[in-house]
Amino acid sequence: MTDELVISGLEVSIGSKKILKGLDLTVRQGEVHALMGPNGSGKTSLAYTLMGHPDYTVDAGTVSWRGQDLLGLTPDKRAQMGVFLAFQYPSAIPGVTVASFLRNIYNAIHHPKQPDASGETSIKYTGIPLAKFRKLMEEKMALLRMDPAFATRYVNEGFSGGEKKRLEMLQMAILSPSMAVLDETDSGLDIDALKNVAEGINASLSPDMGVLLITHYQRMLNYVKPQFVHVLLDGRVVMSGGEELSHQLEANGYDWVRDQVGLPAGVGDEASAPEPVAQH
Amino acid sequence: MTLTQPSTALDAETIARIGELSDEPDWLCNLRQRWWERATQTPPPTGQEEEWRRTSLDALPRDASLLTDAPLLETHLPADAAEAGVILTDLRTAVREHPELVAKHLGVSDGPASHGHFWALAHAAWTGGLFCHVPRGVSVDGTLVARHVIPRSDVAYHPVSLVIAEEGSSVTLLEEIVSPDGGSAGWFGGISDVRAGRDARVRYATLQQLGDAAWRIGAERVVVGPDATVTTLNAEIGSAVTKLGLDVVMDGKGGTSKVLGLLAAGDDQQIDINTVQDLAADHTTSDLLYLSALYDRAHASFYGITNVRHGTRQTSSYQECRNLLLSPQAGAEPIPVLEIEANDILRCGHGATAGAIDPTTLFYAQTRGLSADEAERMIVRGFFEQVVAQISDETIRSRIIDALAVRIGTDSSDEVAA
Repeated sequence: MTDELVISGLEVSIGSKKILKGLDLTVRQGEVHALMGPNGSGKTSLAYTLMGHPDYTVDAGTVSWRGQDLLGLTPDKRAQMGVFLAFQYPSAIPGVTVASFLRNIYNAIHHPKQPDASGETSIKYTGIPLAKFRKLMEEKMALLRMDPAFATRYVNEGFSGGEKKRLEMLQMAILSPSMAVLDETDSGLDIDALKNVAEGINASLSPDMGVLLITHYQRMLNYVKPQFVHVLLDGRVVMSGGEELSHQLEANGYDWVRDQVGLPAGVGDEASAPEPVAQH
Repeated sequence: MTLTQPSTALDAETIARIGELSDEPDWLCNLRQRWWERATQTPPPTGQEEEWRRTSLDALPRDASLLTDAPLLETHLPADAAEAGVILTDLRTAVREHPELVAKHLGVSDGPASHGHFWALAHAAWTGGLFCHVPRGVSVDGTLVARHVIPRSDVAYHPVSLVIAEEGSSVTLLEEIVSPDGGSAGWFGGISDVRAGRDARVRYATLQQLGDAAWRIGAERVVVGPDATVTTLNAEIGSAVTKLGLDVVMDGKGGTSKVLGLLAAGDDQQIDINTVQDLAADHTTSDLLYLSALYDRAHASFYGITNVRHGTRQTSSYQECRNLLLSPQAGAEPIPVLEIEANDILRCGHGATAGAIDPTTLFYAQTRGLSADEAERMIVRGFFEQVVAQISDETIRSRIIDALAVRIGTDSSDEVAA
C-alpha cells in the first residue's frame, strides 16, 4: 500500500470563526498536489492544522498519515513521522545559527534520543557526528546554490523574503520528509528567487515524498509541475483536476469556479473583490 | 577563629575584634573603624528610595553570624602573569604580603550611592575578599579565576574585591561566588571596587551561584580611566534575593565600557539590579545590556540610570534590558532613566522589553521535530547569545554557559559552532 495523507471531513475553527468546513483531500507519496484558493479560503489554516498549531481547533473530521491519526499528536511527533511544513512566514530565532538549528532539528528527526531504562536520556547522547553533519549541510547548500556563509547567520534574523524561503527549502532538503506541505512558498518572491526556490523543490522531489503545494497563483506551477490541482473555496475543496485546471483558473479566475460549483461571487474570499490570479 | 556575633550586634568593639583576631596592622584597624562610623552615619535603605522600592529588606537575615573563618579564596593565576608581577590572592593574604599596595587602594572610594550603607559595612566588617593588581603596562594573556566558596548557608559574609589595573595594563578576571543550597538564610554582602587606569583593558566577570536561601546585597563600582576599555559581566544565577547596585563611572576622556548582565532565575527568586552609567568625561562610551530569563515565579527588576554630566561633550551611551518570561507567574520590571545634562551628545538611548516567547516561534521550532521543552531551551539560549557572543574569553564563556544550563537545561548537540 502506498503511504498516504488522508484528510477527511475536516472542520476547523479559530476562536468562534469556522474556517474549514468539511475538507477532503488525499495525497500519496510520490505525488505533487497543488491546492489553490483566494486569500481567506483557508489554505494556511489547513497547513497549520496539519502540523498541530495550538490556535486551531478541530471540530470534526480526521487526518491520517500512513494509516495513523495525526490530530492527537504534538507538532514535533508529526514532524518525526515525516511530515514537514514550509511556512509562509518563517519565524526568526535570534541567537541560534542556521548550522546549529539544522543540526538540532536533524537530530530531533533522524537521531531521536533513546531514553535509557530509567526513562532518562543518556548524557552521552550526541546525535550525528559534527563532521558528518557539516558534510550533509554543505552538500545540500550547494544543491540549493546557497552561500556557505548563510550557515553562520541567525535563523531568519534579518533575512529577505527570498532568503527565508530558501532556508525553508534547505530544511526540507536536510530533513528529507515523506510528506511536505509548502505554504505559499512562492509568495513575496521576485521571478529569479521564485525560480531558485522552485529548483530547490524539484531537487528534493522523489518517489518517496508527497507534496502539497499551497499557492495563490498559478505561476509557481510553471516550475513545479503538479499531477493534481485542487481549488479551495469557503473551507472546502470544491473542484479537483489535473494540471490543466491551474491554467483554467489563470484564464478565468476564482469566480469561474464559484459559477461552476454554484457559490455566489466573493464567497470564501475575505477581500470583497476577488484578486486577480495571474497578474503578478 | 570564630566570631559568633550576630550581624545585628555589630558595633565598634566587634569591628575591632575582627582586626585583633587576624592580628591586623593598625592602619587597617583604623580603616575599619572609619568605615564603621560611615556605616552608622549612613542608614540602611528604608524602602522609600527609588532604587529600593522593589526589594524589601524586612526579611534580610541580619542575625546571621559573621563568617570569620572563610576559606581562602581559590585562585588561578597564569604563571607568566605571576612572573610579570600580577597579584591575584585572598585579600587577607594581600594585607600581609603587599601591605603598601593594599593600603593605597583599599577603602579609598565611595561605592554606589544606593548601597552606601552596605559599602561602608563591608569595608568595616570584611573577613575575606579578593585582591587583584596588574602593574603598569603588563598584559595578561590567560584568564585569571578566583572563587569564593562559602562553606555554610546561614552566615553573614561581606568580602571586599579589589581589582586594580594600572595604566596600559590588560587583564581578564572571572570571580565566582558559591554557597550551598538549603539551610537557613544567609547574607552575602560582597562588594567590588574595580579601577582601570589610563589606557587599561579590563574584562571582569562575576558569576554568582549562591545557595537558594541566600540574600545577596551587593555593590560594584567600576571606574574607567582615560582611553581605558572595560567590559563587566554580572551573571546572576543563584540566591533567593539579589539586590545589586552597580555604578560605572566614565571618569577619563575617551574611555569605553560594556556593561553586560545575564540573569537566569526560577522558583521564587527575586533579582533587583540598579545601575548608574555615569558619563562624566568627554568622548566616553558606555553600553549596557542586561538579559534575563525568568521561570516559575521569579521576578526581575532593573532600574538603570544613564547620567550624561553637564558640560561633557560627545558621549555615547545606551542601556538595554530584555526579559524573557517563561511562566505566566514570572515577572519583570525594567525601568530606564536618562538624565541628560549636556547638549553636545553623540547618542543616548534605551530599550526595555518584557514578554513571553512568541508562540508562533515556538510552534515553528516544534514543527521541526523539537519538543516544546527543547524548542524553549533553544530559544532561551539564542536569547542569551546576544550577551554570550560578546564574551571573548573562552574560559569565562564556557563557565557562564555551564552555569546558565543549570537553569535552562541542556541538549547535548547544542555546541555547534558554525
